[in-house]
Amino acid sequence: MQRENKKLCQDQSEGVSTFNFPPYKFRLAFMKHPDLQVNIGGIKLKNPVMTASGTFGYGREFEDLVDLNRVGAIIVKGLSLAPSKGNPPPRIAETPCGMLNAIGLENVGIEAFEKEKLPFLEKLSTPVLANIYGKNIGEYAKLAERIDQIEGISGIEINISCPNVKSGGIAFGVDGGVANEVVRAVRNRTGKPLMVKLSPNVTDITEIALSVEDAGADSLSLINTITGMAIDIETRHPKLANITGGLSGPAIRPVALRMVWQVVQCVKIPVIGIGGIMTADDALEFLIAGAAAVQIGTANFVNPRATTDIIEGIEAFLAKREIPSVTNIIGTLEV
Amino acid sequence: MLSLTLQKIKQDMFQEKNQILWNKKIGPSYYRIGIKCHRGYSDAQPGQFIMLGFGDQTAPLLRRPFSIHRLVTTDSHGQGVEILYKIVGTCTKKLSFYKKGDIIGVLGPLGSHFLIPDTIGRIFMVAGGVGIAPMVFLASSLQKKGVDLSKCMVFNGGRSKDDLLCGDHFFTLGMSVNTTTDDGSAGKKGFVTDIVSAAIKEHRPDMIYACGPTPMLKAVTQMTEIYAVPCQVSIETMMACGMGACLGCAVESRKDSDRYFHACADGPVFNASILKI
Repeated sequence: MQRENKKLCQDQSEGVSTFNFPPYKFRLAFMKHPDLQVNIGGIKLKNPVMTASGTFGYGREFEDLVDLNRVGAIIVKGLSLAPSKGNPPPRIAETPCGMLNAIGLENVGIEAFEKEKLPFLEKLSTPVLANIYGKNIGEYAKLAERIDQIEGISGIEINISCPNVKSGGIAFGVDGGVANEVVRAVRNRTGKPLMVKLSPNVTDITEIALSVEDAGADSLSLINTITGMAIDIETRHPKLANITGGLSGPAIRPVALRMVWQVVQCVKIPVIGIGGIMTADDALEFLIAGAAAVQIGTANFVNPRATTDIIEGIEAFLAKREIPSVTNIIGTLEV
Repeated sequence: MLSLTLQKIKQDMFQEKNQILWNKKIGPSYYRIGIKCHRGYSDAQPGQFIMLGFGDQTAPLLRRPFSIHRLVTTDSHGQGVEILYKIVGTCTKKLSFYKKGDIIGVLGPLGSHFLIPDTIGRIFMVAGGVGIAPMVFLASSLQKKGVDLSKCMVFNGGRSKDDLLCGDHFFTLGMSVNTTTDDGSAGKKGFVTDIVSAAIKEHRPDMIYACGPTPMLKAVTQMTEIYAVPCQVSIETMMACGMGACLGCAVESRKDSDRYFHACADGPVFNASILKI
């Protein structure tokens, strides 16, 4: 600490260097803020921390608690062409260090989103990404066509990986050929940046990643939830009405990190890390493994301010080590 | 008559780390915990809830919802809320170990609240077990509103005498308290709904407020429909966020089969006639 202080004092302007520096939080005020900006396949972000689809509503739900202009990007709840009711309850269950959900993509539909939800989001300086899903390739294409016309949406995240809707979802994300077709169909309808969200429920995630990259994706986000199940031993019923659901939270973080690391090594487009990130330290693991940005999901339920806490934590980490830009830490894993 | 859905007034919510004022055991598995809250809670209404977080962000992971039992406004304690809880699982067990001065994460006040019509005479409160918790807050609001509590009746059911709480409190307010237990160890043996139906016939109330296990709420709802008495119920479901983001707390609507209500944002207090319980 002493040595660090000395070095820092030399860097400071006169006047400041004359007194003995208290610990680093105080020093931060005198230092240049590290540059947190990243570019994710055509979308400029002020920092690499986004909200994961389905965990942040349509943004407004969090306005009392979170400075929404501080967030890197807001990815809204998965949108379909028509409004969707979702699965019957019970829809969630807590499991060790995680939770299972089978919400079933309940959403207001693209039309109501544009009319009722988007005007609020458009007032923010934060880019908004629309997460979309369809029951068939035609629906994905129609959604893309429609969103292409909406100025307030900076990019599209294609959900080919939701494990809950029997009529679609999972089928697209586990087959490289079909995943490629979906992304191609969307690519042909829009010039907006395309992020594709991958399912971990596959034997080899790199195969899907390569196939989707080939189809024209600008970035990849992974992982979506891992299919799981829980049973109430008293009633012998599954804890979810849907029987199975998607596992999220810190329980899946090591799996997510491994998959991000694998995918980063085989694709050229940016990879966004998702999976049980609760703190800045967790986010940094993903960045070091090679993720160009991260998404915060389940943590929003536990700590609504998780996104901005993590942004501050990353900034502090970089400042403390005098790393000028977050890009200096991305992909710096030493093996 | 009430409008179909209970309108929620736009109200600020707060995420804070707050100090425990007290955590007193009041029965074999029941506790009252007082929590200092810095702001915003003076506008909280009966039926609203808070989400308590248990700290380490791994296990237990999610916050848990608790209805507000009472507002704390004494000079010595400042502003805050009191929660009445029963040890039922890991989180409530953990909560029981908290001591005065410890810090706990509080998110709130959340959700809809019991609506008190301007002109109201006789009120019934029906509660099962720890469902009595928000009724204490409701009674104090009714009193502030100038409702004649001597005409109001509390119906409280529990498994045994240890599960009957707050009776003295309502009695002091001048309300008549009627109790049942499943095992007959106190009050009348049987379900609380049995004595409610008899009372409705005798003194028809203008409003019934109910909170308790789902089968009880179902029975109360059916009964109030037979006798055409307006009824508001406070329901409990699993929820992750408490603020309308996770959509985990879906509740079936009776009139609109194309959408679910959400217990956290549309509820937890609903007009009983719109829910499919």
